[in-house]
Formats: sequence, C-alpha cells, structure tokens
Amino acid sequence: MVRYILRRVLQFIPVFIGVTILLFTLRSIVPGDPIRMIAGEKSLAPEVYEQIVERNHLNEPIYIQYGYYMNDLLHGDLGTSYQRHTEVSKIFADRFPYTLQLALCAIAIEIIIGIATGIISAIKRYSFIDVLVTLSTSILVSVPVFWLGMLLQMFFGIYLKDLTGGTFSLPLSGAGGPISQFPNWMHYILPAITLASVSLAFTARIMRSQLLEVLNQDYIRTAFAKGLSKRAVIIKHALKNAMIPVITFIGIDFGAMMSGAILTETIFNWPGIGHEIYLAITQRDWPIVMGGVILIVVVVMIVNLITDISYALFDPRIRYGKKKGSE
Amino acid sequence: MAGAAAIGASALQGCGGGSSSGGGTPSGGAGGGDSKAGGTLAYYISQPAFIDPFDLQESEGTQVSSNLFDSLVDYDFVTGELVPAAAESWEISEDATVFTFKLREGAKFHNGDPVTAKDFKFGWERIVNPNTAPDPSAISYHLGMVKGFDELLSGGAKELSGVVALDDLTLEVTLTQAYADFIFVCMHPALCPVPTGGAAADYKTYSRAPIGNGPFKIKGEWVDDQYIQVERFDDYYGEKPLLDAVDFKIYQSPENAFNDFQAGNLDFTQIPPGQISAAVAEYGESADGWTVQPGKQCLLGEESSTYYLVINNNDPVLKDKGIRTAISYAINRQAICDTVFDGTRAPADGIIPPGIAGFHEGAWDTAVYDVEKAKAALSAAGFEGGEGIPTIKLSFNTGGGHEDIMQLIQADLAAIGIKAELNALEWAAYLDALQAGQIQIGRLGWIADYPIADNFAYALFYSESGDNNSKYNNPAVDAKILEARQITDTDARVKAYQDIDKLIAADVPVVPVMFYKHSRVGSQRLNDFFFGPNMIADLPKAWLTK
Repeated sequence: MVRYILRRVLQFIPVFIGVTILLFTLRSIVPGDPIRMIAGEKSLAPEVYEQIVERNHLNEPIYIQYGYYMNDLLHGDLGTSYQRHTEVSKIFADRFPYTLQLALCAIAIEIIIGIATGIISAIKRYSFIDVLVTLSTSILVSVPVFWLGMLLQMFFGIYLKDLTGGTFSLPLSGAGGPISQFPNWMHYILPAITLASVSLAFTARIMRSQLLEVLNQDYIRTAFAKGLSKRAVIIKHALKNAMIPVITFIGIDFGAMMSGAILTETIFNWPGIGHEIYLAITQRDWPIVMGGVILIVVVVMIVNLITDISYALFDPRIRYGKKKGSE
Repeated sequence: MAGAAAIGASALQGCGGGSSSGGGTPSGGAGGGDSKAGGTLAYYISQPAFIDPFDLQESEGTQVSSNLFDSLVDYDFVTGELVPAAAESWEISEDATVFTFKLREGAKFHNGDPVTAKDFKFGWERIVNPNTAPDPSAISYHLGMVKGFDELLSGGAKELSGVVALDDLTLEVTLTQAYADFIFVCMHPALCPVPTGGAAADYKTYSRAPIGNGPFKIKGEWVDDQYIQVERFDDYYGEKPLLDAVDFKIYQSPENAFNDFQAGNLDFTQIPPGQISAAVAEYGESADGWTVQPGKQCLLGEESSTYYLVINNNDPVLKDKGIRTAISYAINRQAICDTVFDGTRAPADGIIPPGIAGFHEGAWDTAVYDVEKAKAALSAAGFEGGEGIPTIKLSFNTGGGHEDIMQLIQADLAAIGIKAELNALEWAAYLDALQAGQIQIGRLGWIADYPIADNFAYALFYSESGDNNSKYNNPAVDAKILEARQITDTDARVKAYQDIDKLIAADVPVVPVMFYKHSRVGSQRLNDFFFGPNMIADLPKAWLTK
C-alpha cells in the first residue's frame, strides 16, 4: 500500500510539468496583452508599460519565462497578480478555505441524502417512494444550477421575507463574517443545497441502479439462502460491492467542486476560487490563472488518490501494491 | 461661465452638494440633530482593484478611498465650482506653471499624525516612484506634467523635484509646461497625502488598510471579495459624518447585490439592466437624479462619461469626412437609449457630457438623427445611396449590451445604404485590435478623470495622446489645445475649449452615441444621500432613519 501511494505521488511530477508546459503554451497563443489590460479603456504610459513588461520578464522568449516561473515555483513563489500587485499565494490562501468548506458541506449532503434515497428506492423498487425518488432526481438532474440557486434566493430570501416578517428568510449571499446579521452557518445552507443538487440526484440514481444489479447476483441469493437477514445481506454483501461506482462518482465530483463551483459561487457571492480564476482569465492575469490551475491540479490529484485508496476499504478484492497472483 | 458645468442646480432639492469637506463646521450637518446621527450603512461595490491611492483607477476602489482620503481641493458638481478640501486656499502663477497650496491647520491622519505638506509630497512621489509596489502604478500620468516626473519614474531621481514643502502647511508644485487646469487634477482622489511617519512603509500592509485624512477611517482591513468596513473619524477637520460606519459589501454581480437589497441586506446598490422600470415603480425616482430620499430612491441622474464610436481616421474608407458625417447623422441614438437601456441613458449631442465645465446642449451639430442629412452627406462625398462603399466592420467587445447597440447601428447604416458587418471580440482581444489600429469602427466609453473639457479635448483628440484611439490628427486643434492650457482665467479657458470642441466637431473624428446615467437605488431608511456624476457618494451628509 505504501509503495502504491509513493508511486502515485511520484506520478504527480510528470503530470505537474505537463500542465505547466501546457499552460505556458496556451498563454502564448491566446490573444490579449495582459499589461494593456491593467489600464482597461485608458492607455498606459509607454514608460510604465515597458517597466512592467521588463519586471515580469514578458520581453523574454517563452522558454526563458517558463524557466523563471518554475524557478519561482520551486521556491514556493506563485508570482504576483498583474492587476492588483498582490501575491497569488495570498489570493488563494484567502479564498480556498471557502471553496473547501462549501464543497465539504455539499458533499456531505450528497453522500447522506443521495446514498440514502438510492438505497431506499432500490430496496423498495416500484413502490411509491421509488417512483418519487426517480421522478425528483430526473427533475433535479435537468434543472440548471443557476436557475435553482436564484429560485431558492427569491423564495427564501425575498418572497418569504415579506410573508413571515423575516422569520424564515435566509441570508442570500456572502460568507457571513462580522458584517452579517445572521450566524455564519446560515450562509452555507442555500449555496450548499444548490451545489449539491445535481450531484445528489446522480448519486441517488447510480446508487439505485448499482444496488439493483448487485441484488440480482448469485452470491446475494446464496447469502439469503444461508438464512442471513435482509439487513445483513444488504449492508454486508450488497452495499459494499455496489459502492465502488458511487465512490468513483463522488470522488470526481468532490474534485470538481474544489476546483471552484463558478456558477454557485457567482450566484451566492461566495468568496471562493472559481470566480477569481474566471475573472483572471478574462483579464489575462496569468499569474493568478497559472496559480489557480496548479492548485486545482494538485487538489484533484490528491482527491483521486484518496478515492483509489478508499476502493480497497470497501472491496476486499482490491488490494494495491501486491504482485499479480498473490491476491 | 463655470456655472455651465453645474448639473441643473435649480432642480436640486434638499441636496447637500458634492463636497464632503470645505465647510469646517463641527459635528452635524445643516439642521442636523442627534436624531440623525448613528447607524451603519450597507453599500454595494464590486471587488475593487485598489483602495490605496497608489493605483486608484476604477470606480469601485475610488468609492471607498475617497472617503478615507481628502485631496487638496474638491469639486462641487451642483455649483460647478472648485471648493477647498485639505488645502484651505491656493494660488496659481501668472504663467500657470506654479501652484501654491496653503493647507489647513490642525488636520490629522487617522493614526493621529498631523497632515503636512511633506505628506502630500510623499503621497505623490509614492505614485510616481516605480519601486513602491511590485509593479509601477498605472496612474502616474496624473502627475506627468510635474517637474522631475520623468527622472523619478525612470529611477534616475529619488524625489519629485517639482513638489516642494515650503513649510509644514505650504505646498508648492511646479509644472514643466503651462497647464491652468492642473488645479482640477489636484482634486483627483489618488492625489492625496500619505503619512510620512512610517505608516505606509510596508506596501502590503498599507494597501490593505490605508491610513488617510478623510472623514472615515478603515476598520480592520479589506477582506477580498467580502467587505471593507469604515467608521467615522472623530478627529476629522471638516464636517463629521452622521453615520457611525459604512460597510462596503463586495458582490460578484449587480444582480446578486440587487437580490440582497430586496432581501433588506443593503442600503445602496446598482439596479441591474432590465429591472429599472420595475425598480422605479416600486421605490420611486429621485427628484434630482443624484439624491436618495425615502420614497424617492432610484437614482437616474447623468454621469460624467460618454459612450462613443471610435472611427479609425486613417482607414482608406473612413478617412473621408463625408462618410463619417453620414454615419453620425444615420444613428438613431434615442432608439438605442430606449430599446437597449430602457430610457436610462441619454442620447449624446456632443463628446463632453453634462457636469463638465464647457458642456452645452447641441455641441456637435452632426450628433443628431437625421436620415435625409445622412443621405445628403453621402451624395456630397460622391457615394450616392452608399454606392461604392465597401462593407464596414463594426467591432465591439462581447457583453455589456454592446452587441444590441451595434445591431441597431448596423440597421441604421443599412437604411442609408452603408453595409456593415459585426465583429464581436473578447475584451482583451478587442483592446489589442484597438491599440494596433486594426479596427474600422469600434466602441469605447470615456469616463472623465477630472471635470474639465481638457480631459476630453486633449485625451481623445490631441495627436500624440495615448487615448486618441481614432488617430485623429489636426495640427490646428493641437496648437489650440496647448494654447488653451495656458489661459488662467477660468471663464476664458472654458470658452477656448468650447471653440476647440467646435473645431473637432467639424471634423467628426468620432461619433458620440450616449451619455451614461446612474442606475442605482437606495433603501427606504436612507436620507440625504448624494451620489454625484463622478460616481462618488457624499457619505458624511447621509443619515439613516431609525
């Protein structure tokens, strides 16, 4: 197991180098002068323009720029934003915790509600509950996130506010903090539900179909024949096998959520990394874009590794790091 | 004559004016009692680029910073006059090259340090010095005319030799060339004092929590994408704010902020496009367009900025003045304002917008919708019915409603026989193309840095100006601009710029389309809240109903 993890971590290196080269190639292709963007519609004085270009080595060939960047990166320096003279590491250190907290809330909702409804609807196949779950997940999957988010805002924040004198109104936006009149946790409710909505529906559907498939297997019939209770069969035998695709989906989804949920963050004014990276791309603020993408790559690689390791916990047949034939 | 700049002063009711200083009256505004004092105002902004005057360039940071700092002078948009701010008086030399300011005695920074002439010198040098921050400031051009500017910017000098602290309260500024309007440059919110006592020694700390000399001081520091809190500065030399504090809440989109406003979590915000009529019906329209009072909460007053078409004057087709004239006559500006902006923009009849000294109605006689005159201009240029004019490219940046505007213009041009195709580019690519002169007809918005005609005439039409994107070049206009800059008498100078404006208008180098207007709304509890054409709120006078 340790060797497997070590090997996977070493694989990070070529992926990492590949990503940085790809990013540098892209930024030389994409039109738009990042320095001119600093002043927007107004012009930048030629002397100032030259100084900024020189300081950021933008007058050097692209491979030299890459050398500078990698050298800084190895020294833990992600560079400084062109637009804001702020260190990229500070920009992400401020925002990533918000992205992580929101992703954790959403993934918790997704796991608890998604898996639970999936199991219930598989066990009680064709019952009223099953039909209800199938129907509501179909609707949730097809509802655009931005629409659902705005609907929740309108309903809880604006419509119910007048109706109930503010009793049920929820904070519409922001991450709380000292300027909010509400407790901090309340600011998580609507964005977390919105972010979890589509994934929750997918999780429930995958869980249902996987469990139904496993329940038809011979070894389940054998388990029943042995006289085990339904609960024991489902939890000990069926669920463990049915979980693998669900874990894969949740793992990928968690990685995606931590890359910044741009739509949810924008609707709920969430100070995470998604909106920041989007803005940096439109402004050609390459240090932020590069730093953001590198952060996302590292996070996704770590989440994938954890997902892979967790397979072994659920399915005893999967063991990493052993030679073939020793299983 | 300067009164021409005033924004419909007679229409103003119960408005305190644009100046947040100059009065020197102790606590409480006119008629202000204790009942008005107190409370925290929640104010929408989007994420600023800077709140440190070092690189203060966009509206969001300026809305915050202008309350943390006072520059030497201020401008009253109601009377159209300069008023004292950190300087109580000033003198301009005969040749308009030396400006001497007498600072107020007893003025303090938020950390208790006295405000001296040295602090102004330091604040200004900090902007020009290329080593203040990781990259040089993009706004050092404000001081481009001050003696010693080039030397400091290039790193050859350690100070701005043209700025001298004669004593603690006397500041002398020497320019390299005559520029009487420099006094208006001195009102720019970035040109304020920065404490020399070491408070600004570390750029990183100071840029997140600047210490200024304004009516409000920062509480804590700027939290990115979330908020900037400011509170009343009790040792302020001027009229002290009635509010206890202001929370500038940062939103990622105006739609977002408007939702929160409707939920009761904001006192002042932008009205998203498409919701203006509904907002006016619900919240009422301000009497003057700039002041929020209960029941009259929507602000739709003019801003000092112009939306115009940049025409490449070197283009083989568009260098023909006749074609440019025809294009200007062909555009139905009112239709654009009504259909795209719900009537919340005003058709531009000149390049200089209301609120700027020198503005007068009907300044450009070609900036009107007249299809017959458009057709006649085409015929006179030898292109009867548009015959012989190749298809023209209308370029614009995506988003912001520009596509809708350009589609209407395309149809207007088709009506006089000029074929045009749309060329939508992403913002960064659009700026590249504009800079490279690859655009035939494009669009831009010009927001005045200072409320003076020179900021339009020189910036947009002087042949060597970096913002002359239409590459207009008329030696007579160039010479007259340089001449006008030397006139010290305000009325005579404004008149000279109006004459220059006429010369420029006759060449139709660009096509003015619209003057921007506010689309903001305040809450029911907000009183005497003035939000000027320069997009700066007079927060010290505002108060909240309890």
